Amino acid sequence: MKELQIKAAELLENGTVNLLIGFCEDLGKRLVPCFIETAAEANILVFNQECKNNLSVYLHKKEVKDAVKIGLVANVATLRSVLQLLSENQLWSLTLTYLTVNGAGELVVLRSAEELEAYVQANFPTCRPEDQEMLDKLNAMSREERWAFWKDQLSECVKCYACRAVCPMCYCTVCTTECNQPQWIKTSAQTSGNFEYHTMRAMHLAGRCINCGECGRICPAGIPVHLLTAQMNQEMEQEFGGKTGWSLKGGYAMNTFKPGDKENFIK
Amino acid sequence: MDTNQYIPYQVRIADIIDEAPLVRTYKLEFTDPSANFTFKAGQFAEYGVFGEGESTFCIASSPTREGYIECTFRSSGRVTKALSNCEINDIIGLRGPFGKPFPIEEWYGKDIVFITGGIGLPPLRCVIWNVLDQREKFGKVSIYYGARTVADLVYKEELENWKNRPDVDLFLTVDPGGETKDWKDNVGFVPTIIEQNLPSSKNAIAIVAGPPILIKMSMPILAKCGFANDKIFTTLENRMKCGVGKCGHCTVGKTYVCKDGPVFTYEEVLQMPQEY
Amino acid sequence: MELKLISSSDIAVFVDGLLKAGKVVVAPVLKQSGKVFFKPVQSFAEVATDYIQTAFSAKEVVFPKVEELFTYQHNEEGGLDIKDHLDRIPETVVWGLRPCDAAGFDYLNKFFLQENPDAYFKARYDKTTLVTMSCNKCDASCFCTSVDSHPGDTKGSDILLTAMDDKFYVEVMTEKGNILINSNSALFTSTDTLSKEAFLAKPLTHFSMDEIKDKIQNAYASVEWKQASMGCFSCGACAFACPTCTCFDIQDEGTQDHGKRVRCWDACGLSQFTKHSSGHNPRNTQTERRRQRLMHKFKYSVENLGVVSCVGCGRCIRVCPSHLNIFENIQSVTK
Repeated sequence: MKELQIKAAELLENGTVNLLIGFCEDLGKRLVPCFIETAAEANILVFNQECKNNLSVYLHKKEVKDAVKIGLVANVATLRSVLQLLSENQLWSLTLTYLTVNGAGELVVLRSAEELEAYVQANFPTCRPEDQEMLDKLNAMSREERWAFWKDQLSECVKCYACRAVCPMCYCTVCTTECNQPQWIKTSAQTSGNFEYHTMRAMHLAGRCINCGECGRICPAGIPVHLLTAQMNQEMEQEFGGKTGWSLKGGYAMNTFKPGDKENFIK
Repeated sequence: MDTNQYIPYQVRIADIIDEAPLVRTYKLEFTDPSANFTFKAGQFAEYGVFGEGESTFCIASSPTREGYIECTFRSSGRVTKALSNCEINDIIGLRGPFGKPFPIEEWYGKDIVFITGGIGLPPLRCVIWNVLDQREKFGKVSIYYGARTVADLVYKEELENWKNRPDVDLFLTVDPGGETKDWKDNVGFVPTIIEQNLPSSKNAIAIVAGPPILIKMSMPILAKCGFANDKIFTTLENRMKCGVGKCGHCTVGKTYVCKDGPVFTYEEVLQMPQEY
Repeated sequence: MELKLISSSDIAVFVDGLLKAGKVVVAPVLKQSGKVFFKPVQSFAEVATDYIQTAFSAKEVVFPKVEELFTYQHNEEGGLDIKDHLDRIPETVVWGLRPCDAAGFDYLNKFFLQENPDAYFKARYDKTTLVTMSCNKCDASCFCTSVDSHPGDTKGSDILLTAMDDKFYVEVMTEKGNILINSNSALFTSTDTLSKEAFLAKPLTHFSMDEIKDKIQNAYASVEWKQASMGCFSCGACAFACPTCTCFDIQDEGTQDHGKRVRCWDACGLSQFTKHSSGHNPRNTQTERRRQRLMHKFKYSVENLGVVSCVGCGRCIRVCPSHLNIFENIQSVTK
């Protein structure tokens, strides 16, 4: 992607960006995250539909934050994550520049949070068809069938926490799973503890997950954990309105009170 | 015989002594008379509250005193809090002894210098007891010990005992501001007190344990006195779980603190990556 | 070593025979996600054959992801009944390992049994027979030839099978392997000549352990560690997929009256792995943690046990969400 490489080199050369996070090709021809600090390295950058990683997760990393002026090569799901993180006030110490490619194949450079918001709203992604198909299938099941499905799936979980690690919204410095007074969630990978972990995570992400699907895609055990948070999100949208990763103002349903909120659950 | 090192002994809490705020000593007796538990000074054990987990402390008593062992710990995490809630006659689990002990037999005829602070005294008390119980085998015995405040000093009764012994030089201190109205001993950080009472390195061994800052500040003073790095011993602490060199938590470079230590010479410590 | 042959069609007969005889057979199985895992099978028909490598290793057979150390129960005398259940382990055959995986078992054997023998590992390993399948294909993540192994290596195997056109070479390496063959010896014929080179994959060799053993002595201080770990976000996927990672946590699950003590997989990459209860963390950054992982595999294991504890299976590269590349990292820090 010549245009991308040239622009990236320019941003690094003129000091707009100290560290650029993008994609490059590895020995196995996979597209993997790369971190470049000089214009000379920009010629390794690649960007296409196969670039699935949500690179905004790296914005929490100390070694990245130290660079302050960050460039991010991002697909629209990643840009939506950044918008959600900005609305949660997580990126205040960084100056961000975004590079993306629109539907017409043109390079787009976004230099401010406002430009980011406008772009995301204009190109807002919908639920992937294969995920919607799976959600419909699960919702059509009886409770017992659904329980059996997830019990089967979650028995494979090895508690590697890769799902938590790749999620840009999982940025707590001490996770609930790391608390042992009390031991909220068992550390061992037994099915009941696995259920506890994944349902806890879905709850913590309700109304925050932007459905990039990374958690499910990268799960080493092949468990489609992204469906749990996708389902939570659809329910949140139905109950409270609003869309995650839509606006800088956010308004995360689980910690926002509005006088018009339904209270029919209080009996 | 293939022993299963994960199965604990069951020990009864025979006595509890409150040493300092949050610090307790438990005197433990084995419930199984055939247990035949033997250990050497410097070794540690895993003390467990069933249902909560295990925590690692040195064995703070000496093998010269049979029939029981003692451990001293500060309540700081999940397991130590649960241990603190135990009462006399409660049964807890104990696995061990683990680790390489202090090579006390190699120190016969030498002067021994102990330097420690605060909760660092328990790991050295086993050696002090071991030395004092065979007093005639050693030369001069000097103990430099201090804590933040008078209340934080552990083994207060024994400190009195050591102070009154003519064959032990005890230099006791509290940090500036930590003294009480009737405090009669030194006031000052432990390294300062060592500077004021320099130990001789001639035919001597130094053992340093305790807060990392104390170790860091004491080493240059010992070097100034002429102690070679292989004549200075310390006991390292790291996060431990299994105690037998398998779970990987305590590694520093290629060294497992649990099975290759916890006793090391300062020379060995300097050769490790500084990740402890 | 005894050399035999078996026809391709008789392989299924052999495996189904083992199952009928009551052995647990753990073999690669294709799951709906498209990934292949080692699972107990009920017939040879379930065994996956056309794949390069499984997602996770087979170490679960001898080192389960959750292992009960003992149960405890308060008794009437005021003490506790503490019981381990090591007598309940069945005879198990692991079928279809790759030579890198078998080399992994060889390492596990040394690690768990050489010093302070681990009773749980021993109980399982003694009851396990390893039947390995040579590799006739590989991908860019495979690098066994860089770590003292190769696609037809017998190290760690009880039996090594190499597929030819319509039959398999059968290299019987140990007494355990012999016992397995003799369970249906009629299926096997003896042979003298072993010529398997043509049927083996040819992975790229990136370095040799001879050169690395020297160069890694100074790698701790390399400035390349930061770049090598930039993509890492501190999960345990690589450690859990790895055939030779052995770190574990010990947890009690239950009340003070009754319950169990278990050990479960842990990973040095996880941020809390070395954290003291005081809050002090000797390996506080991801750079330090990734350095520990690679130094352990390529230097400390060599110093402690005489073998490199990486077998070149490439799983860590494949499961890593960022595909961090262990052999590229080793090359850059030893430059």
